[in-house]
Amino acid sequence: MNEYKTTVGIEVHAELKTKSKIFSNSANNYGKMANTCTNVIDLGYPGVLPTVNEKAIELALRAALVLNCKINKKMHFDRKNYFYPDNPKNYQITQNRTPIGINGYVEINVKDGKKKIRIHDIHIEEDTCKSIHNKNKSMLDFNRAGIPLVEIVTEADINSSEEAMKYLEKLRELLLYADVSDCKIEEGSMRCDCNVSVSKTEKLGTKIEIKNIGSITNVGVAIDYETKRQIELLENKKNLKEETRRFDDKTNSTILMRIKETGNDYRYFPEPDIPFIELSDQYIKDVYNNLPMLAEERRKIYLKSGINEVNVQKIIQNRIISDYLNRFIDKKINLVIASNLLLGDIAAYLNKYEIKIENTKLTDDKFIDIVNYLDSQKINSKVFKTILDDIMEEDLSIDEILEKNGFKEINNEELVDIIKDVLKNNEQSVNDYHAGNTRAIKYIMGQIMKETKGNANPKNINLILEDLLNK
Amino acid sequence: MDKLTREQVMHVAYLARINLEEDDIEKYRVQLKKLIDDIDKIKDIKNYDEEFLISPIEHNTNLREDVVGQMLDYKEVIKNAPNSNGNFVEVPVMINE
Amino acid sequence: MSKYLDLSLKEINKLLKDKKIKPIDLVEEAFENIEKNKDINSFITLDKENAFKVAKELENKEVDNLLFGIPIAIKDNICTKNLRTTCASKMLENFIPNYDATVVEKIKSKNMIIIGKTNMDEFAMGSTSRTSYFGAPKNPWNKKRIAGGSSGGSASCISSRIVPFALGSDTGGSIRQPASYCGIVGMKPTYGRISRYGLVAFGSSLDQIGPMTRNVYENAELLNILCGKDEKDLTSIDKEKEDFTSLINTDIKGMNIAIPKYFVTDIVEKEVLDKFNEIVEILKEKGCNIEYIDIDYIENAVTLYQIIAMGEASSNLARFDGIRYGYSYENPQNLEELYTKTRQFGFGDEVKRRIMVGSFILSGENAKIYYDKALKIRDDIRKSFLKAFKKFDLIIGPTTTTVAYDLESNLDDPLKTFLDDILVIPVNMAGLPGLNVPIGFSKDKMPIGLHIIGNAFDEKTIYKLASSIEKTLDLNLDPRGEKNE
Repeated sequence: MNEYKTTVGIEVHAELKTKSKIFSNSANNYGKMANTCTNVIDLGYPGVLPTVNEKAIELALRAALVLNCKINKKMHFDRKNYFYPDNPKNYQITQNRTPIGINGYVEINVKDGKKKIRIHDIHIEEDTCKSIHNKNKSMLDFNRAGIPLVEIVTEADINSSEEAMKYLEKLRELLLYADVSDCKIEEGSMRCDCNVSVSKTEKLGTKIEIKNIGSITNVGVAIDYETKRQIELLENKKNLKEETRRFDDKTNSTILMRIKETGNDYRYFPEPDIPFIELSDQYIKDVYNNLPMLAEERRKIYLKSGINEVNVQKIIQNRIISDYLNRFIDKKINLVIASNLLLGDIAAYLNKYEIKIENTKLTDDKFIDIVNYLDSQKINSKVFKTILDDIMEEDLSIDEILEKNGFKEINNEELVDIIKDVLKNNEQSVNDYHAGNTRAIKYIMGQIMKETKGNANPKNINLILEDLLNK
Repeated sequence: MDKLTREQVMHVAYLARINLEEDDIEKYRVQLKKLIDDIDKIKDIKNYDEEFLISPIEHNTNLREDVVGQMLDYKEVIKNAPNSNGNFVEVPVMINE
Repeated sequence: MSKYLDLSLKEINKLLKDKKIKPIDLVEEAFENIEKNKDINSFITLDKENAFKVAKELENKEVDNLLFGIPIAIKDNICTKNLRTTCASKMLENFIPNYDATVVEKIKSKNMIIIGKTNMDEFAMGSTSRTSYFGAPKNPWNKKRIAGGSSGGSASCISSRIVPFALGSDTGGSIRQPASYCGIVGMKPTYGRISRYGLVAFGSSLDQIGPMTRNVYENAELLNILCGKDEKDLTSIDKEKEDFTSLINTDIKGMNIAIPKYFVTDIVEKEVLDKFNEIVEILKEKGCNIEYIDIDYIENAVTLYQIIAMGEASSNLARFDGIRYGYSYENPQNLEELYTKTRQFGFGDEVKRRIMVGSFILSGENAKIYYDKALKIRDDIRKSFLKAFKKFDLIIGPTTTTVAYDLESNLDDPLKTFLDDILVIPVNMAGLPGLNVPIGFSKDKMPIGLHIIGNAFDEKTIYKLASSIEKTLDLNLDPRGEKNE
């Protein structure tokens, strides 16, 4: 018996990070009081007309470029006509005939190498309004109406839940690092719909749509569930109908929303209120050249600087840390130490006090000094931990903070005296050392550290100690 | 067109979200048929150019700078709405959600 | 009682400047005129209280422009802040906009005084203004006849000399055709000349606001203040400022004028055609070069118009759903009923027909068969016109095929309304400017008009020819029989 093959296509809606909406100048905000971020255009009042936000076009173009799309240099908008309360004009302004980007791809890592997930198109459109439902009534909040979106549609190139999740992670990373969207699935600024079908033959099976899945992990769960459900039905000689289902995260299953009508009749036609938009070659080039450094390039730099793969991934997953670290790439500091600090003690501090790094007193100069001091072992990590709060909270240089905390560096003459004293007071250990007991040296080191309160450079201690013992 | 059926009339009425009373369906069927027969003349036109005109505007779209402007007070939003509840505009429950 | 409003714009302006009269005198007179002409039904909403208030405020201001303090009427599909805007529909019977259309802002900034909102076909859909929810306006030349449409209220209030200025809108002749029927001057400017922001959309790629006035000069003066690029309307165009009156009453000798053969075929009634031909002879005498030409697909313009206007209208009018504003069916059983019954009871028959046909046109494969094809042929028409303008200064024809007909006739034919506009529609297809200027009367004393079409953004040349004809004919265009000097 043939194996069933799963085929998945994914549609992602991502909100663009603009200040104002796509077709009006009201604010693109999340979490504000209902109906306080709207104007007559968002509400579809009689007589109003759309304008086009240049930033939205730029961000959509960035997205199209990082998805390796061919750009529609002369594009227009279309109206998609359907009645629904969340659609204020009862038509949505979108791009049907001339999407800004077509024929792109996203590359993901799979078991036997790399796989290209083809992008059918990426187009610009306006978001709908938000609704809250109770038993008999729905309540509309138009704050979201008109927020710029890109919709990214793949070809049916995905064949497992794992590939789907990898695609979404990669897509999210691309959009985040191109500064296109903040891709917060939990806030709805990135939303995923999946079309899942199973078949034993080359011919695709019946397409089932799963809407608005709340996390990338759940996309995997939903696809696995749906694959199993569809195979079971087919094995029991049941027919599948094209339908729309939603993922239920309580039961980890999909639930029927509605059977699809035979072909939605959206009556698309070119939006007459917005003439053609032409993207010049120069403009496209400028946008491309001004893209922020993408994750892939960052990864290369980090690995080359010696940061281990686990930490590289951790940094990439946190854009703020990555951006912070990137400020020091050209400063010739030890990026391994820098990344360890950022992922470790500094991250813990920021978490503990729920503060953003830019709101602390950690200046670039201070960060460079700290990394260099640790690198040259001028201070050790214990000292660093002791003075961390001061670093983050005081308007003082690292040297001033060390001094304030009594960590005064001991000069070599003083150090020689201290070590001589220690050796004198621990003759037994010195003898043991000379007798070949290697553990004795550790004890002596410990005593020296105790006397110097950690203020001496361990490298120097070693040099002096070796010198004195072997005299 | 040869015939405009009752079903076709019901379909366009559905697309347009206009309720038709039973008595009106035939009236509209006859009137719509007349109009559609008239626009069907376009089917006879041949040898036209493929270039099309969305609106008689030749210039490109001027884009708007991304700056936030004045917004409505929520009271303005709900003032004109036939049904509202607190800050929200209210409708009968949306079943398709 | 004094009749200042019958004076010319320049004369009124002088009186205001010399403080011989105050704006409030003009407002008072306008409302007296409205009272006297109630039967004409030109207005849907009057703004009496506010008009007097504004007039009073203007007394302390300097008379700084020609239109200062002059009363104006606004077609009721143009949004006016805090003043009811109904589109002559039950759907918007109680709708009070919270913003001003750009043209209204411009009018207010020149300190013109808005008197009220004029009657029209419901959502501008019609050629007779009979589809108004508030009853049809009447033709001041014969109150048993139509004023034309859709800007019938604006045309009739100018014709009956209630106010000297009005705004209309023209999607497929809705300014020029009623102007012709009522014997006034009406201009549909080039598409993009005037901002559409605040004009309730019917056919977005065709709609254009325009001035309706007693004479050519005043028309040009009103256009002077209405035009200009608007950041709120992407289809408005940035053009260098010009004075549209600059060629008025200059010599027309040597002008090259074309007449599309289609405009003088038997689709035009003999009486109208004869009057038109008289004008052609006059123009020849004055040294104009007249030629008869062909415009590609001009005979198909009405079909294309129906497809484009109804297609766009079905989408533009989808927003009237009883949710955010306007009429709403009470206590619906469910969402579907809210939609379908709000739209059943909120819209009149003509509007419902056009929305349904528009939905049909855009539905599924039909979009390609009808709408897309219409956009392509439309481009051919436009190119053909533009080609003609390489050789000719202007194109002329009769504005309408007949004079205004009886209010009770042609009520059952859904096609008649399109055929009334057969001569004016091609201009909207091409986005060109077109103007009606009265050229005489039929034997039963109904006005006949000349349609002058100009090249894109060449309204000035239209005014040149129109003013020359107006001056030559020196018609008495006051239906009250008094000579208006």
